[in-house]
Amino acid sequence: MTGHILPVPDEMSAPYWDACSRHELKLAHCSQCAKVTHPPDVTCPNCHSIEPDFVWKQVSGHGRVRSWTVIRQSFLSGFELPFLLVDVELDDHPDVRLIGRLIDGADTPLTLGDAVTLTFDDLAPGVAVPAFVMAGKS
Amino acid sequence: MSGTFEARNKVAIVGYAQSQVVRRPTEPLGVTTIRTAREAIADAGLKPQQIDGFAASALMPTSGGHEAQDGISTVSPAWLAEHLGIEPAYAVGFQGHGQLTGSLTLAVNAVASGAADYVLLHRALHNPPAGKYNDNPMTEAAGMMQWCAPQGFFGGLPAIAMVYTEYCQRYGATREAMAHVVTEARNNGAKLPWSYWHGKPITTENYLAEPVIVDPMCRLDCDIPVQGVGVFILTSAERAKDLPNKPVYMSGYANGYPQRHRLPLHWTLDDMEEAGQALSARLWEAAGISREEINLVQPYDAFSPFVYIWLEALGFTPLGEAHRFILDGGIDASRPNSIAALSGGGAIGNGRLHGLPQLLECYLQLSGRAGQRQRNVSNAVFSYSAPYFGGAAVLTNTP
Ligand SMILES: [Zn+2]
Repeated sequence: MTGHILPVPDEMSAPYWDACSRHELKLAHCSQCAKVTHPPDVTCPNCHSIEPDFVWKQVSGHGRVRSWTVIRQSFLSGFELPFLLVDVELDDHPDVRLIGRLIDGADTPLTLGDAVTLTFDDLAPGVAVPAFVMAGKS
Repeated sequence: MSGTFEARNKVAIVGYAQSQVVRRPTEPLGVTTIRTAREAIADAGLKPQQIDGFAASALMPTSGGHEAQDGISTVSPAWLAEHLGIEPAYAVGFQGHGQLTGSLTLAVNAVASGAADYVLLHRALHNPPAGKYNDNPMTEAAGMMQWCAPQGFFGGLPAIAMVYTEYCQRYGATREAMAHVVTEARNNGAKLPWSYWHGKPITTENYLAEPVIVDPMCRLDCDIPVQGVGVFILTSAERAKDLPNKPVYMSGYANGYPQRHRLPLHWTLDDMEEAGQALSARLWEAAGISREEINLVQPYDAFSPFVYIWLEALGFTPLGEAHRFILDGGIDASRPNSIAALSGGGAIGNGRLHGLPQLLECYLQLSGRAGQRQRNVSNAVFSYSAPYFGGAAVLTNTP
């Protein structure tokens, strides 16, 4: 893909990036209220527990396009231009919205609510970032 | 707080100064700030030693890979007091986003509480001598950036572009409507002697011919990074009576804060609308007047879609209707009864001054000091940043 910016996993995010490297999307579930949050925080933004003890569980990644933009000029170096980013509301967790590249291409016609499914962009050996593809076109 | 602001109309702006707005600095930011501060103190009819309070926010005078240096690329309240040779009773800085409205509220509260008699509020913006403002040589993303930079989502422009796409899709806004916003800002700004864009108006055709760089945003939808300083002097309504300029009173203010946990810089239209409605309700209650009594509105416009967001948030049009209101001439400064939303040029017509043009235009119009732009106004509202980072304030000349 596109970028040369690699995530630096930390104590909180390591399980997420581990799962991504296996092309699985895992999200943080609060062990107190069971709700999903992304990205994980030092507390649970839903129940405000200071001991959320997040449990990482795989999610489908099916979602709906809430918005998008085509990046034709970037302030970051190393990206192949243009590329299209979608803002995706997850079907199973509507409070969670992810932003990822739509791999169908920068000129893909879109309307609000279009269905997308999860895929991954491999950034480097063992490093992948969630991306999306129009549903039914994987 | 609920109900009317206890210090409503008890604190007034009594003087100001605005530096020349330049693209690249020819002197340290501290020097420009000291000069502008001295001008503002004199404008208020005061002597430097009468200033006993300082308020400002130093966050984000610039961004990118360089270090902020007090007096060179940023100016803290304490630095300014020391370099003016003043030992203040109270010097206070606002931390976080919502810099101008945040520090304005600190200044108002300092006067209202009696912590200081004469407060100098400044905002000093720096643009580095070379290189692009936002360019980032990042190859690894740690901390919060790990959640967005690896997929290429970085900076304010993609953030507002996402909101603007959703707005256009949901409400049918066109590029022609935004051309109206941007030309209004640039053409009013072109008449201001201090503006970076002085003497450089643009046409609708210029706007429509500009290539989109981050859909649906083009370069002209963004303010340009500049160096510039604005200073205001505040004191009590009582003390203001003895000073030369017509006082402009602070009726009320409201600030907004993030409500939803999101990715960094993941702004959404829903969040903006929700936060805007809540902030607006608090603002009108605090100010103790209704929006029908407002005859000048100066919404933040660092990115042009913020004009829609704020006009709707503050209730001047229903949600999704601002673009139509604007196409119908609702903000045209050439019409005497419009809300003249960009009569002061905004950030698009002045340069990246983080809310200063909005506050300045409210002050100049309400104090009768707007020269050829002078309108017949008694109550004004301005806003800064996004509804959940920034804030808004109501000012009046008829308490
Ligand atoms: Zn929880």
